[in-house]
Amino acid sequence: MTATLLLILTLLWPLLLMLRSPLRVLMEQDALWRPGPRPKLLDAWWASAPLPALALALWPGETTLVLDGWLLGGVWQLDEARRPWLLFSALLWGLAGVYARGYLVAEQQAAEAGDGGTFLRLAGLTLLWPLTLAGNLLLLLAEDIPSFYLGFAVMTFAAYGLVVHADNRDAHLGGRAYLIMALFGEALILGGLLWAAGSADVLTLAALRDGIAEAEQGAWMAAILWLGFGVKAGVVGLHVWLPLAHPVAPTPASAVLSGVMIKAGLVGWLSVLPLGDPAAGLEPLGRLVIALGLVSALAAALFGITQRHPKAVLAYSSVSQMGMLTALVGTGLSDPALWPAMSVAVVLFAAHHGMTKGALFLGVGISEHPPRLPAWLLWPLLILPAVSLTGALASGLASKWAFKNVLYEGGHETLVTWLSLAAVGTTLLVARALWRQWRERGHHAIPLLGTMPLAWLFAIVAATSLPLWLPVAGGVVDSPWPPPDELPGLMWPVGVGLVLACVGLWLAAITRRRITWRLMSGDLWWLYAMLARRLGAGLQEGAERIGARGSRLRGRLVAAEREGMAWIDGLPRYERRFRQLAVPLMIGVAVLLLLGFWLG
Amino acid sequence: MSQGWLPLITLATSLLVAPLILLLPERAWRARAVLNLSAALLKLLLVGLMVVGLYQGREFAFGFTVVPGVEFLLRVDALGMMFAGLSSLLWLATTVYAIGYLEDSPNRKRFFAFFSLCVASTTGIALAGNFFTFLLFYELLTLSTYPLVVHRGHSAALAAGTVYLRYTLSGGLVLLLGVVALHALVGDVTFGEREMLRDLGPEYHSLLIGLFLVLLLGLGVKAALVPLHGWLPRAMVAPAPVSALLHAVAVVKAGAFGIVRLVYDVYGIQLTFELGLLTLLTALSVFTILYASLRALAQQELKPRLAYSTISQVSYIVLGISLFGPFGTIAGLAHIMHQGLMKVTLFYCAGNYAEELGIHRIDEMNGAGRRMPLTSLAFTVGALGMIGLPPVAGFISKWYLGVGAVQAGMPWVIGVLVASSLLNAAYFLPILHRLWFRAGPEHGKGQWPEERRLGRFETSGWLLWPTLATAVFSLLAGLLAGVPFSPLDLATLVATEEYLP
Repeated sequence: MTATLLLILTLLWPLLLMLRSPLRVLMEQDALWRPGPRPKLLDAWWASAPLPALALALWPGETTLVLDGWLLGGVWQLDEARRPWLLFSALLWGLAGVYARGYLVAEQQAAEAGDGGTFLRLAGLTLLWPLTLAGNLLLLLAEDIPSFYLGFAVMTFAAYGLVVHADNRDAHLGGRAYLIMALFGEALILGGLLWAAGSADVLTLAALRDGIAEAEQGAWMAAILWLGFGVKAGVVGLHVWLPLAHPVAPTPASAVLSGVMIKAGLVGWLSVLPLGDPAAGLEPLGRLVIALGLVSALAAALFGITQRHPKAVLAYSSVSQMGMLTALVGTGLSDPALWPAMSVAVVLFAAHHGMTKGALFLGVGISEHPPRLPAWLLWPLLILPAVSLTGALASGLASKWAFKNVLYEGGHETLVTWLSLAAVGTTLLVARALWRQWRERGHHAIPLLGTMPLAWLFAIVAATSLPLWLPVAGGVVDSPWPPPDELPGLMWPVGVGLVLACVGLWLAAITRRRITWRLMSGDLWWLYAMLARRLGAGLQEGAERIGARGSRLRGRLVAAEREGMAWIDGLPRYERRFRQLAVPLMIGVAVLLLLGFWLG
Repeated sequence: MSQGWLPLITLATSLLVAPLILLLPERAWRARAVLNLSAALLKLLLVGLMVVGLYQGREFAFGFTVVPGVEFLLRVDALGMMFAGLSSLLWLATTVYAIGYLEDSPNRKRFFAFFSLCVASTTGIALAGNFFTFLLFYELLTLSTYPLVVHRGHSAALAAGTVYLRYTLSGGLVLLLGVVALHALVGDVTFGEREMLRDLGPEYHSLLIGLFLVLLLGLGVKAALVPLHGWLPRAMVAPAPVSALLHAVAVVKAGAFGIVRLVYDVYGIQLTFELGLLTLLTALSVFTILYASLRALAQQELKPRLAYSTISQVSYIVLGISLFGPFGTIAGLAHIMHQGLMKVTLFYCAGNYAEELGIHRIDEMNGAGRRMPLTSLAFTVGALGMIGLPPVAGFISKWYLGVGAVQAGMPWVIGVLVASSLLNAAYFLPILHRLWFRAGPEHGKGQWPEERRLGRFETSGWLLWPTLATAVFSLLAGLLAGVPFSPLDLATLVATEEYLP
């Protein structure tokens, strides 16, 4: 009972908090228009939005809520599979919210002082942040397809407001790339869901997975859905929004975008793809998924090290890490027997990446506005999650060991090698990101006990200790750490990466030239934009041609009509002539008649 | 009172208001408003009574013989009730809106008289029990909307009115031919007696196909199927409440409703399917959906863009009924109501922008969300619904259409739906972006074309409340689609009780 109430509160609380600020503005009539001080927007209440979700995730026992009147029949559920996702998502959202209160303090002060424009932008953020959160939580908890899609769509579209918060040119470009790619993703998801759900005539995700496994066209349905969610998960080719949108969003928003929201794509895959179902027959698709995942992982690493903005580098690192996760999900299709063990590793890896990448993004803001900490303490703290992400320490080591172990047992040595190469790339990427952070470090210290440093410190602690508290498959993983003799096999990519990074640094030092020529962030986006422009121009031309033809046809019709009308107007003339002829005609007829009578 | 009189009184509520309004003097706007609103409320009440009676299984019918063999028949069935319910609900909202919109403008007496006549004809179309009665009110609708379209009286309005009359009168003539031919074939065509045509035997099939095409041609003009849609974008010169009513419930919907009647109640879905006519309808509607969406993309003004969007959305109804199977039927019928609610909201919003700020073009809308937050919120709800995003009602339609397409063995239709969603997004999201995310006059950049301060709120309350009400309704119709008496529930009732064996 309590759990059910918590479940409702989880989704309702962010929405209630969202309505709070507009209601307050409404109550003080014309508060928007009059000059002068404004109410505080980012208060402690606002940051409390994910607390019920956190409580729900920690609440023991499973719960299901069935709502008959909701959409096409709502089923919201918390089970052991959803618990880890909910827990780490709610935690990161909460930390990012607390962090945002410190990060946006300057805007907050400007807004309170009466800067109307800043107040409005901030009001937009306070509205859309809880809305995005509510969407994210709904998609995690929904078991019925319409609610799931609703959550996904709400999260996707509300997050647009977070991306464009800065309201400058780059922000609008990032927002545009984000929105356009997201729309294509939504369209593919909708199409795939309709097709699959229609074929099987089902409304829940579990039944949908079975339906896809049994359907004749199941491979196509799975492929469409995989691509649709792949936009969010940053699959190569569909990832272009990530490096454009992440750097421009406010840092706490980047943290949740990269930490939690791109995981929604992964959640989508796990929810709809018949992973681990040997009857599905999706092995070819699985092999393709693995290949594309590895391409993502490696290509993103190569491209990412050329970037200058630390958040862009981290965004490419997210693409790379998601590529590794994609490859792991692919094994669930290509080698179904492996999936029960692999799914645990995937959840661990995803949560590790979410929390760690969140901590790294929050760290970017910290290096820009360093708290009053000695450099020997500050920089190791910034480096710690980076090292964890490479897989050499803490949660990174545990999650890497988890999937390598499973892959070795399944006999996928080649895949392990490729993934190790990707780890080399990860090392290079985080080294590059930290280097750029060092070059762009700020000097105005902020108090240590502010919301921003505290949230960051807590994020580091939570990220590194993740395997100790994350409940995966019913409980915490028993022995998450690898045995000592496995360590060399896990560590070499980090070593190679470090050596390469040092070599790169040395080369940069001796040539004194920028060896990374500028490659535009967003790589393929520019190609897509050019193709779209061409297509648009072609369509325009075609439309004009058709329009011209249509108007010619209309013109001809109008001319014909005018002629017809002229002819009708001319009829009275004939009438006059007819009148002149009438008398002779009648006489003629009479004569004929007479003749007829006479003869007949 | 006998129950047979209930449909007649419902019809009379709006029919008799027209002469009463004409009797009132032009400046008695208060009396006119009271008369209009009380009639609208009374009608809503009567329709509510009939819906309840229908759920209890009671029969309501009223009829008399005009000439031997031709009968005037008003009868209540679930499908007609859906349409009557929609029209009476939106009549109330639009009356409120029109009172605010036309404040201080000339010829209000004429406007409201014909407005009532127009609604009376819509009610007549909904309640018509046979094809003859349907035709009668269908033609009355054409004639009563003409004065509304040309209400402003300037040359553009008159030209649009001429085009409108040309299209609809020719359509009506073609329809008349078809109805007469059908009458000659089987006698009085009562809706619901589908066995009449089914029993004709295969030798009549080619004739029936020909007749169907003729009837479709007649009905398709009002339903604005491409290429018979030319009048609709031009009729945009009408005042906003007229456009709203025209697009959401009266003319366009009457055409679509006629096609629904033709397929389900005259030919019967089985016969239509056997004759291969459903495929034709699918092809026609798919073409209309995509073509109109593309045309909408090219419009620079708000109302024409909404007009092309209507053409595209109304074809969803035709697409739904053309998908053989219960889900397609439910989708088509539910969309009659969903589209009505969403589109009426969008047109109210367009009217609000035009009245309050003088906005007609899309590029003038920058930052209007700050000046008129509630109207813009309503517009956002309507637009998202048109795209088909949950939780607005449009999603429910799209879901059922998609599932219906799979069940009818045409999964490719899902591709059309997805493409249409993307196109809808392509022409609605830029507007939303302008509303909320661009800096405009309210941010100190440029100025509104013609700003007026109509009321205490962002605009006059008469304009604002109906807009918000319909927006909330379109949201609730999607969010709570599973509760009894929701549009989806009514459509399911119609589909299961009336059409499926």
